[in-house]
Order: sequence, then structure tokens, then C-alpha cells
Amino acid sequence: MKLKESFAEHRRLWLGLGSVLFVIAAWEALLTYVFPVNPFFFTKPSLIAVAFKEQVIYGALWGDLAVSSKAFLWGFGFAIVLGIPLGALMGWRRKAGYTLDPFFTAMYASPLVALAPLIIVVFGVGLFAKSVLVFALSVFPFIFNTFAGVRSTDRLLINVVRSFGGGEKDLYLKVIFPSTLPFIVAGARIALGRGLVGIIVGEFYAASEGIGYAISRFGDTYRLPEMFAAIFLLMILAVALTEGMRKLESVLAPWKTTQETR
Amino acid sequence: MKRLQNFYTEREPSILGGGFILLLIVLWELMPRLLTLPQGFSLFFTTPWKVIEACYELFVENKIQEHFYVSSIEFLAGLGLAIIVGLPLGLITGRSPNIDAMVDPFVTIFNATPRLIFLPLFILWFGIGIWSKIIIVFIGAVFPLLINTYEGVKNVDRVLVNVVRSFGANEWQVMKIVVLPNSVPYIVVGLRLAIGRAILGVVVGEFFGASKGLGFMIATAATNYKVDVVFVGVAIFMGLSLVLTMAVKKIESNLSRWRPEEAKTF
Repeated sequence: MKLKESFAEHRRLWLGLGSVLFVIAAWEALLTYVFPVNPFFFTKPSLIAVAFKEQVIYGALWGDLAVSSKAFLWGFGFAIVLGIPLGALMGWRRKAGYTLDPFFTAMYASPLVALAPLIIVVFGVGLFAKSVLVFALSVFPFIFNTFAGVRSTDRLLINVVRSFGGGEKDLYLKVIFPSTLPFIVAGARIALGRGLVGIIVGEFYAASEGIGYAISRFGDTYRLPEMFAAIFLLMILAVALTEGMRKLESVLAPWKTTQETR
Repeated sequence: MKRLQNFYTEREPSILGGGFILLLIVLWELMPRLLTLPQGFSLFFTTPWKVIEACYELFVENKIQEHFYVSSIEFLAGLGLAIIVGLPLGLITGRSPNIDAMVDPFVTIFNATPRLIFLPLFILWFGIGIWSKIIIVFIGAVFPLLINTYEGVKNVDRVLVNVVRSFGANEWQVMKIVVLPNSVPYIVVGLRLAIGRAILGVVVGEFFGASKGLGFMIATAATNYKVDVVFVGVAIFMGLSLVLTMAVKKIESNLSRWRPEEAKTF
């Protein structure tokens, strides 16, 4: 009886869980009983679980992950440090906004990943080239979200601070920053996805370590269970990070209930 | 003087914005003439004029057409598949809470993960030909379409749905009369995002295990230090995605003038 009540209450959760379990079970059963396929081209959950245990729990992948995270953090850090002030400048000084907006829009809309081979040829195979790639991809969401955030700051609040004799610094710290913060966090979520693309492309293209390299190496050597283990590890991390950002967003801006784009 | 000033104030945004881009291009062109570049650096350096020359040469020698053709086929086929799959799935998940609950975990997981990590797998499964790229374009573009269609369906006015229902419409008619027209603005946003993802898929897909396509051209040119050819490829991709996204953006703003300003997303 209790189970039934719980089902009615958390219907979405149970249905979701059920469908995931069903897919995993069907995958396993199909490959075990119906057509046991060539292990070089396909694999099944039980084998992936074994590989996951080996690679993740006993550690082989963590070294690769550490290498990737380092490059990611450098690029992402610089994107924050440069992107937010630039966006704030564009939002606050009208002429700066006019001047920089078309150029950055063009850069944001174009697939900068196309420059990856050149960046790697110029800067070599290593931390620096990957960080540059991550930076180039993830700086624009910070710029544009800060820009939009500053521009949508309530004029009234600004006037209030001014009438009470607040200076430029008060404006920034007490009005503009708090009202822009939710925009920045939303930008960070978009930047996160783009930064991950940068890391993966950089490491697929030319690298000797890192999670992207691990995936392409396992693929080249037909070690599918290990490859899926690495993919799942990356998936878990990506979901945790994006959902974390989403939570942060709803904490910082509870009035923004739905997001137009994910 | 007065008229000049008026001319400027009327067009300030486009003059400043366009001027800045022009200035950058001119500076880039003049850079080797103003500064003496270090020896090693000039190997990786090119100027806009050289890029244009390289583009003309490639075109005349008929070297770029085939790459362009292959890339466009991959783009169109992948995006087309994404529309065929994403739109109906978005409509269904938007209308049926049960199916939505069952599909949602997969959508969330795959949407958070950069789908490019599946590229080695797709190359293994579908070979280095055109199909592995079509699939990577498809899987990149399908989620923005699906999610935005879903959001559009979810945001449909309940009252309108109930009115149509009360007059005896079935699910299909509700869909056709209320749901679909109301979700068009959202679908267009999804399409714009999907175009960006699709181009990303084409570029990256062709970097690895390909023998044709603009991405392949960029990658081989970079390893042979033909920087001007790299920029020809990059410029084509930039131009295409700008033209396509701006066109869709135009449709978007015509469809939804009433929507508040949002930050840009690509």
C-alpha cells in the first residue's frame, strides 16, 4: 500500500528510473541471448560495469581526468576573469557596447573549434593549447550574459543609490553585481558545455593524456567496455556540473522559473 | 557639420561596431609591415589578403568544391534527420506526462554531455565515411530541437486547449489548431541552436578519420603549415553559421516581438 502511495507521489521519478533500468536490462539481455555480437564492435552493461570498476574505482582514469581538469580550469578561469569585466563594460558604457557587440557576436556565432588544428600546431600538444581552446569557446557566454545582466538592471535602483549619494563603487557592488549574478551563473552553465567541447576536441586531436585521449585510445584499440566506462564517467561529471549550476541558478534567481534554452 | 553629426548619431551603433571590425582587419593586414615579426612566428602568420588569394586559387583550381559539397551533405542530412526525429518527439513528450517522465532522464543526460565524446564510437561503428559525420551532426542537433519544442508545447495556453477540446476536437486537432502554432517561436529558437551544433558536428567530425570535407581541409592544411588555407576553411564556416543564424534570428524576432530580452545563446 505504501509503495502505491509513493508511486503516485513520485510518479515522474519512478517512471524515469524504470525506463533507465529497462533500457539497461534490454541492452544486456539483447546482447546476451538474442544476438551475441562481436565484442570488438559492441559491448554490454555487465562488461562496462567491470571496466568501470577497474578504470574508475581502482584509478586508471583519474590521472587522465586530472590532466583534463587542469587545462579546463585554466581556460575557464581566464574566461571568467576576462569575460565578466568585458561584459560589464559593454553593458555600462553605451559606446563600448556598440563597438564590441558585433565583433563578439560574430565570434560567438561562429564555430571557433575550426581553429583547433591551428591552435595545436602553434602552441603544441599540451596544457597551453587546450587551455586556449577552452578559453576561446567559453569566454563569450560570460561576456554576453554579463552584458545582458548589466543592461537589464533596474534603472530605478540605480537612481535610488545615486540620490542617496552613492558613488560608482556603490552602484557596482550594491546594485549591478547582485542583479547580474543570476545571468552570470546562467552564462557559466552554457560556458561549461562549450568548454568541455574544447577539452574533448583538443584531446581527440592531439594529446598523450587526458580523458578525451583515453576515449579515443580505447576506441582505436577496440577496448569498448573501457571506452564506455570513460564516456559514462564524463557523462556523470557533466550532468553533476550542469545540474549543480542549474540549482545555483534557481537559488540565485528564484523568480526565473523556466529557461528558454538548455 | 551639423548634418554629419546627425548622420553619426542616427547610425552610431553600426558605425562603431562596423568600424571596430574593419579596424581589426586593417590592423591584421598591416601588422607584418608595421612590426618585424620574429622568425618562427611568420611560419604561422597570414594576412587577410593572402587568405582571399588562397580562397580564389582553391576555387579556380577546383580544389574546394568537393570538400564543400561533402560538408554540406553531412550538414543537411544530419540536420534533416534531427528535425524529423526531434520535432515529433518534442511534441509527444510535451503532450504526454508519462512519456515525458520516461524520456526525460535520457534527454537530461545526453544534453548535459558534449555529444562529441561519441565520435570515436561512431567512427568505429559507421566507418570513416560520410555516415559517422551525419550521425554526429544528428545527435548534436536533435537535443536543442527536442527540448525547445517541448518547452513550446508546455507553454501553450491551457485555456485555448480546453476551448478547442470543448468544441469536440480530438488530440490531433488540438495539436494542429493550438499546440503547433503556439510552439513555432520556440521551435525556431531550437532550430537556431541546432544549426550551431550541426556545424560544430561537421567541423569536428571531419577533423578525425575523414578524407573529404572542409574540416578535413582545415586539419591537413594546419599540419602542412598552410595557414592561409586554414583561414579559408574557418572563414567559410564562420560565414555560413553567421548567415544561417542571423536568418533564423530574423524569423525569430518577427515571430516573437513580445518576448523580453534574453542573453544571446548560440
